[in-house]
Amino acid sequence: MARARVEQQPAATGTTLIVMVGLGIAFLLFMAFLNVVKSGNLLNESNLLYAALIFYAGAGALYLGFGVTGTDSYVRFASLATWAGLAANTGAVAHRWYEAGHPPFASIYEMLLSFVWTLAVLTLIAEKKFGVKVIGTVTMPVAIVGVVLMQLLRTDVHPLVPALQSTWLHVHVTLAMLAYAACALSFALALMFLIQDKMQNETFLATTSLFGIGVYLGILTRFENWGGLSVVGWNAQEKSEMFLQRGVRLFVVIPDLGWLMLLVLLVVAAPFALYIVGRVRKNEALFTLANRAVFVSILLQIVALLVFLLRARAGQYPSLDAEGLYATSLAASPFILSGLVSGIFSSLLYLLLLWRRPDLERLLPTAEALDRITYKTICIAFPLLTLMIAAGAYWANRTWGSYWSWDPKETWAAITWLVYAGYLHMRITRGWRGRRAAYFAILGFVVVMFTFFGVTYLLPGLHAYA
Amino acid sequence: MAVHIRSLRRKIWQALSSIKTGVVLLITVVVLSAAGTIVLQRPVTDPDEMQRAYSPQVLRILDAVGLTDVFHAWWFVALMILVSLCIIAASIERFPNAWRYYARPYKSPDKTFRRALPIQKQIPIADEETGLVAAERSLHELGFKPERVVQSNHFSLFAERNRISEMAVYIVHASLLLIFFGGIVDALWGWRGFVKLTQGQQSSLVELRDGKQKSLPFAVRCDGAGQENYADGTPKKWWSQLAVVRNGQDLQRKEIVVNDPLVYGGVRFYQASYGPTGKLEKLLLTARASSGPGEKKDLALGLNEIASLDPDTTVQLAEFIPDYVVSDGQVYTRSTSVQNPAAHLLVTSRKSGKHVNFWLPALEGFAENAQSPYEFEAVDLKMGYFTGLEVSHEPGQWAVWAGVICMGIGLTFVFYVAHTRFWAVPVREANGKYTLWVGGLANRNREAFEERFRELVSKIEAELKTQAEVPARTRVPSIA
Repeated sequence: MARARVEQQPAATGTTLIVMVGLGIAFLLFMAFLNVVKSGNLLNESNLLYAALIFYAGAGALYLGFGVTGTDSYVRFASLATWAGLAANTGAVAHRWYEAGHPPFASIYEMLLSFVWTLAVLTLIAEKKFGVKVIGTVTMPVAIVGVVLMQLLRTDVHPLVPALQSTWLHVHVTLAMLAYAACALSFALALMFLIQDKMQNETFLATTSLFGIGVYLGILTRFENWGGLSVVGWNAQEKSEMFLQRGVRLFVVIPDLGWLMLLVLLVVAAPFALYIVGRVRKNEALFTLANRAVFVSILLQIVALLVFLLRARAGQYPSLDAEGLYATSLAASPFILSGLVSGIFSSLLYLLLLWRRPDLERLLPTAEALDRITYKTICIAFPLLTLMIAAGAYWANRTWGSYWSWDPKETWAAITWLVYAGYLHMRITRGWRGRRAAYFAILGFVVVMFTFFGVTYLLPGLHAYA
Repeated sequence: MAVHIRSLRRKIWQALSSIKTGVVLLITVVVLSAAGTIVLQRPVTDPDEMQRAYSPQVLRILDAVGLTDVFHAWWFVALMILVSLCIIAASIERFPNAWRYYARPYKSPDKTFRRALPIQKQIPIADEETGLVAAERSLHELGFKPERVVQSNHFSLFAERNRISEMAVYIVHASLLLIFFGGIVDALWGWRGFVKLTQGQQSSLVELRDGKQKSLPFAVRCDGAGQENYADGTPKKWWSQLAVVRNGQDLQRKEIVVNDPLVYGGVRFYQASYGPTGKLEKLLLTARASSGPGEKKDLALGLNEIASLDPDTTVQLAEFIPDYVVSDGQVYTRSTSVQNPAAHLLVTSRKSGKHVNFWLPALEGFAENAQSPYEFEAVDLKMGYFTGLEVSHEPGQWAVWAGVICMGIGLTFVFYVAHTRFWAVPVREANGKYTLWVGGLANRNREAFEERFRELVSKIEAELKTQAEVPARTRVPSIA
């Protein structure tokens, strides 16, 4: 059945997309070059980042093209573009390092810079060493989102406060980045395993919808009375968040945006509700309806993103805690922004799965191989997690005189560690393979993401720097 | 009755050592510590904020259950102890088997084992000795040290590497227990506190977190402290020059900065904060006689210090107000930060005993500056600064670090070092011909090991070929 569908497709030569992407890259580089000639400074960080963005975007387009058509030459050019993007990215990292005099881990901006770099390296490794060619379809969009986010954040090198001047901090953060990137990889691999393991599209549908529900519920924790959405105020002159007092951010309320987010939440939740009803009533027709609902939800999510972009960029808003009107900025709400963008991406990836599943199945390694590689990645991630926690504890001990103080970030790092320890125990002593192991790997990554974003965003604590 | 108790004991033991209990306990730990990050915790939160966040009834319930201080609640400690017991029980339950496996390696495979082993190969050989020698040489080439094992009537070969990897998981579990042990020791006997020192001051009293005071058998003295800033004004470095004093003797001196504490007798002093005390250290001023062209005289006065200006006249710094405000005929201070300073000088004549109030600046209604025989001008203020030292005593931390290192080593062995074993047994088939049975086993990383096994087999085959080509004579010495 699957074979038949593949053969029906016209033999894709694939030159069109390559030529288009190539032309796009050339055009954008040319435009960038004109800019450079005007400013006379070729190798500064923003130019390098811009080049990286262009190449990553090209690679992303080609990987997607490969995901859709399965034309092998796309991958070749996509990895070429990734290599070029990585070179530019490396230049930006090196420039930053040289300029700041410390490894680039001190601010969210610098962490993203390093994270994107690690992600690109891992993508190439996964592709060359393990032959997981389609992985770029997932990782490249993430890299693009990362680079775009970086354009919004404050970029000036700001000096390290005394507590951060420690080699152990760099060790700690480097290990964290490596460990989290390995966890992300294991997550992507577990998802691919589930595809190869013939998990039903409907289950993916429900999960995608659940993810969207999680994102919008997270955003709606900022729901204010009368339908507003409160976001952090932004001081345009100082390029920093506004503070009421030390450590207390000033929130401003964007009116009506809360209602829009609530509406999107309902639409995003619709496929899940339809799925549940369909399961209970054993009515397959509802699944088709659910797929249509995903389509609608993508459109609405894009609308929500656009409205958020427009309203956050311009306008003065009142605050509940202080008199007067204040501005905000996209840079003040990186988590909301990444939540919105990743919601859209996950829905798009579901559509890709829905429409091109046979091709994906043909291109991916076998289920057993994916299962094994997932386990291997976790075997790398777990010791890194352990060392990361240990280095962090050692640093805290040198700085504050206590190696463990149960602050939320620490506690969640320990929870992450326990979840992966649980995975390893179940796998080694109980022989968990396949689906159950894959679910566990996915759960692990969800906890990692919560530790990385959720704790900073939702819970207070010592890790105010990141 | 006795039987009953024994069976109960065995049941408890089985429950403790089962992996199911372990997983349930771990899930409980995860859920409770997650709750501890969501509910505001008393030790790190303002009491006012707790009041604001929760209604009185809710707060009372949370307090009663211990959810407002999860990580120090008795049931959390009990849970951690239970987890430790579980790890210990599981290790004891499984250890003897693993130890037997480790201490008495399986060297001579029997028929059943040979039939069941998944990775194996049969290679035809001329006789027992040729096969053994070829296998021995090939194993040597691969870096193994094969040993000959006597079977009932012939030899077989056994070679292995990294047997310790079988025990690695116990190293990891033991290191976890070591970390717990350190944590418990610190929770019971450790303490944390704070000392605030100004320059020249010394103290042996530490203010503990719970408001109590602790007296140290030695004192710590601050010989200087300061702050360095970046160009944009954000702090770059805080430092304090500290000395440990005991019976009037300086035992140790060190300049500490953030991230680099002073350690003495198991007590560690960390640079935690630095700031103005709001108190004056010295007021620098100049004095000039009001009548005539007298020279300017430099003075430096601390609070209540007296300096003589001439044989008859003295001046005393009676008051210093860092941030003055005048209201209702009184001088008040608004804050301790030096925003709007005022100084009150008392100029006294010894002969007449008359005081003149000289104010800087001349506050109306207070200042009698015109009557003073001397005029004063303020030049500079030297404010007092304090250095805040976090003090901690963590007797268990060495166990924690030792545990961390052990865990690092243990995990390396668990994940990256495989116990690999090879056996080679010459077998006489029913038809009288000989074959060399070669088998291998690795406890992890199967694919890499299979690759390795194929390499061994091809080496043996190559070796057999060369042996067959070379005349038997040259072969003899190597056997002997």
